[in-house]
Amino acid sequence: MLGVGVSSPATAEWLFDVDAGGFYDSNLSNAQNQADIRDDFAAAVAGSIANFYALTGNDGLTLSIDAAGEAYHRFHGLNLLGIGASADYRHKFGLGYTAPWLRLNASASYDSYQQDLRTGSRWALVAELGQRFNDQCDAAIGGVLERRYGPNGDPLVPGIPGTVFNLQGQSAYVRGGYAVTDSLLLGARFEIRRGDVVSSTRRNFAIFEASSAIAADPTFGPDFFAYRLRGTTGTATASASWALGERSSLNLVYAGEKTRAYDDLDYRSYRISLAYAYRY
Amino acid sequence: MRILRLIPALLLLPALSALAQTAEIAARVLDAQGKPVADAVVVAVPSDGSLRLPPRPREGVVDQVNKEFTPKVTAILVGTPVTFPNNDNVRHQVYSFSPAKRFELPLYAGVPAQPIVFDKPGVVVLGCNIHDWMVGYVYVSESPYFAKTGKDGKASLADLPTREYIVRVWHPQLEGPEESTRKTVDASPSRRVDVEWTIKLKPEVKVRRAPTAERGGRY
Repeated sequence: MLGVGVSSPATAEWLFDVDAGGFYDSNLSNAQNQADIRDDFAAAVAGSIANFYALTGNDGLTLSIDAAGEAYHRFHGLNLLGIGASADYRHKFGLGYTAPWLRLNASASYDSYQQDLRTGSRWALVAELGQRFNDQCDAAIGGVLERRYGPNGDPLVPGIPGTVFNLQGQSAYVRGGYAVTDSLLLGARFEIRRGDVVSSTRRNFAIFEASSAIAADPTFGPDFFAYRLRGTTGTATASASWALGERSSLNLVYAGEKTRAYDDLDYRSYRISLAYAYRY
Repeated sequence: MRILRLIPALLLLPALSALAQTAEIAARVLDAQGKPVADAVVVAVPSDGSLRLPPRPREGVVDQVNKEFTPKVTAILVGTPVTFPNNDNVRHQVYSFSPAKRFELPLYAGVPAQPIVFDKPGVVVLGCNIHDWMVGYVYVSESPYFAKTGKDGKASLADLPTREYIVRVWHPQLEGPEESTRKTVDASPSRRVDVEWTIKLKPEVKVRRAPTAERGGRY
């Protein structure tokens, strides 16, 4: 995250952030069969302009405008430009950095993909309860409600819609951080999500039978179809964040994911990302 | 007439005599690697316990600049009032849970109306409830003879009444108790006594200010 901060008089505090880096995703198509799995590298950049308000000594509100972009090496249909906004409220139950806190976050964005099938808007609500136990350790548990609107996608089968990226889901997670040194922060996160998932494969009758929406997905090839399914996804994330100064850091994140969409479909993927973050 | 001319000189004699009977302790603090330690507080307490405290200590100041306490370490004499001006354009809420001084300055901008009087010796750790990474220290000395080391690890305790002192060192990252640094120093008249400490420092780990891998929740 690249950032520059300016403070206006009284209570508001401007925050500017930029993240720039790249990632590798081992299974972008969320496919089970080896022949259908598509992996790729992408460059990613994200930025935000935010205004923080200290409402009281225990309450803070951050309003931000966010933008993000991703450019893929092979699958250009996934290239993305997104813009959004979020409101983040935090309440501390007491005084001091070890006081437990509650965070409520509402965000919405519009994401424009090079291949229209995935283009659409989304929103998410997050509630998180956390505590810092000392200078080195903190932990939080949270829940997410999310909705994605994907109006594109022509129906291929009568009676089954083509809007595969009309998705909703909810998840719960637990996360923790441990500062090994003043510079190195390790993090871990485990998340379970239940909701709609999209798997893109070649024609597959078993998946077709379990699908609630189907559309052609030329992003991965002319013979690929995107299937919307109901599934449960478990994600384990490990991160290492190296502070380069008070305002910047280098962040390495590994996220391994396993989804069970129905009895016969299991797919796995992992993503490794490296990003430079700057905040002012 | 000659006698009249001598009067000022005679009046100055006690002062000159007092000057002649002062001493200086030149302290130097190094870490285990032999590097100078800045922000260490060196305190000298007369061995016989005879402390003469000034009637009204000068006021101390701990600024808040760029969302940090400045200076990070402040050494004061017990009973000193300290103001906490906020020179940022954002509000701070300064607090301390330390047994030597518990206090809270509710969310404020500018200069608080009343200073905080530090009336017990000890170390007071400062924090800000809005910006968790902010940390500062006020060392409240029971003795008027103290000084803070600079970047060169040196501090000078000058104009000390000549006598024997117990001298000790404190630093925010000091490993072990402050008492373990005690040294007995005989401060003789018109003499500079060099005293050196090699102290072990714990790694500094504080709440992180730099961005993390986890997005969201800036504060």
